[in-house]
Amino acid sequence: MEALFRLIPDKYSAVIAARLSLQKLSEVRIINSAPIRVCYDGAYYFLCGTGITKDRSAAFTAECGSAEQIVMRACSHSLFTVTDTLKRGYISVAGGLRVGVCGAGVMQGGALFAVKNFYSVNIRLPHEVKGCANALAPKLMCGGSIKNALILSSPGVGKTTILRDLCRLISDSGYNVLLCDERYEIASVSGGVSALDVGCCTDVISGVDKPRVFEMGIANMSPHVIMTDELFASDLPYVVRASTCGIAVIATAHAKNIDELKAKPEYSDIVNHRVFDSYVVLSAPPARTVTVFEGVV
Amino acid sequence: MGMGLFLLFVCAAGGTFCGYMILFSYKRNYLYLQDVCGMISALKQNLSYKKDSVPVVLSGLNVNSAQLKKNIQEYIDFTRGQSDKREVSRGFLPQATFDGVKDLFEAIGGSDEHSQNTRLEALSARFEKLRETAENKYKNMGAVAVKLGFLIGLGVGILAI
Repeated sequence: MEALFRLIPDKYSAVIAARLSLQKLSEVRIINSAPIRVCYDGAYYFLCGTGITKDRSAAFTAECGSAEQIVMRACSHSLFTVTDTLKRGYISVAGGLRVGVCGAGVMQGGALFAVKNFYSVNIRLPHEVKGCANALAPKLMCGGSIKNALILSSPGVGKTTILRDLCRLISDSGYNVLLCDERYEIASVSGGVSALDVGCCTDVISGVDKPRVFEMGIANMSPHVIMTDELFASDLPYVVRASTCGIAVIATAHAKNIDELKAKPEYSDIVNHRVFDSYVVLSAPPARTVTVFEGVV
Repeated sequence: MGMGLFLLFVCAAGGTFCGYMILFSYKRNYLYLQDVCGMISALKQNLSYKKDSVPVVLSGLNVNSAQLKKNIQEYIDFTRGQSDKREVSRGFLPQATFDGVKDLFEAIGGSDEHSQNTRLEALSARFEKLRETAENKYKNMGAVAVKLGFLIGLGVGILAI
């Protein structure tokens, strides 16, 4: 994971490389002048000289300007390349890493103009688990068509990982897949090449917001299915439009289960109007179950 | 007589050589500034469409000046975390050029697109002026230095004889 090691100070990367399994590492959280934490095999620990620990006093403490240093490294010392995504709280790094950024906002005319005085960063590592959607894919591809599906789980459970594998399986089955990779997390395209396997029939649009991708994709790419991560209420009209054009949509959303989704006023319409044929609920580790609900109201 | 002519030749050649050295110093400063102007122009051009990161633009540049190549490499090493401090080596650079280059490497990449563009415009104007001055020096004073070097060398030779 060269991309991660380029971002963080050598002291931390040496410990991670020597003592931890990168397959189990999903987050590195750095707060200025605070102990460094990592999410390892689904649980949070402090990073220390011997690996990971629950003992806060043994943990590495980040230096005062660590967050800014990581932000600058993440954008290759070119802030103008990430101004827009910084305003949305993150930076995408080649290799599929996403750096969540907290700092002080600079407002202008009621809108967020810039982010300064970086306070903390959360480096999220992508995990490619080929085959994790093997059981799910046939349930969403039946009778020669693809069902509209919404994948639900709490943050960090593996929505993006399962979506990526699902994308690969559907694409390799011969369907035209249009992948909306707004945050470069799913396909991790860099220099026009996808770093992660998203299938041989997948068109990837990276770094563009969902409304534009839906508009461009429907008009130009004739997809059988559009796949996207982290659907928000504002994106729902575009999903409905795609559905009425005969294009399936598979997306993810933050919700522990369907009841939690229904409880969110902005999502209630989509549940009540049956926009999605199937809901896929992922449970948190250690159970890690995948449950498919069909035609829920 | 033979010795005298030889001495005259050596003095004239030495003077001309000194003149050429001065011409060379003007030339490399001029070429350095020309490359810096090209670099700023490439950064501005990239910013208006592709918006690649600064190290990507700089590593793709065709630069002739060895000193600027070194400065660019120092910057790239810093952005890749291979160096903790942002070094700008001075080499042969005159104070005004060196100050400008330090400002340039400090400024690039540190702000949003609009501010970056404004800053690059200002730096471009500053370096254009420096380049014009260096070009005049190179073309006018460089030639004078060679001629003067030859004449002084010749004069010294005659006096020595």
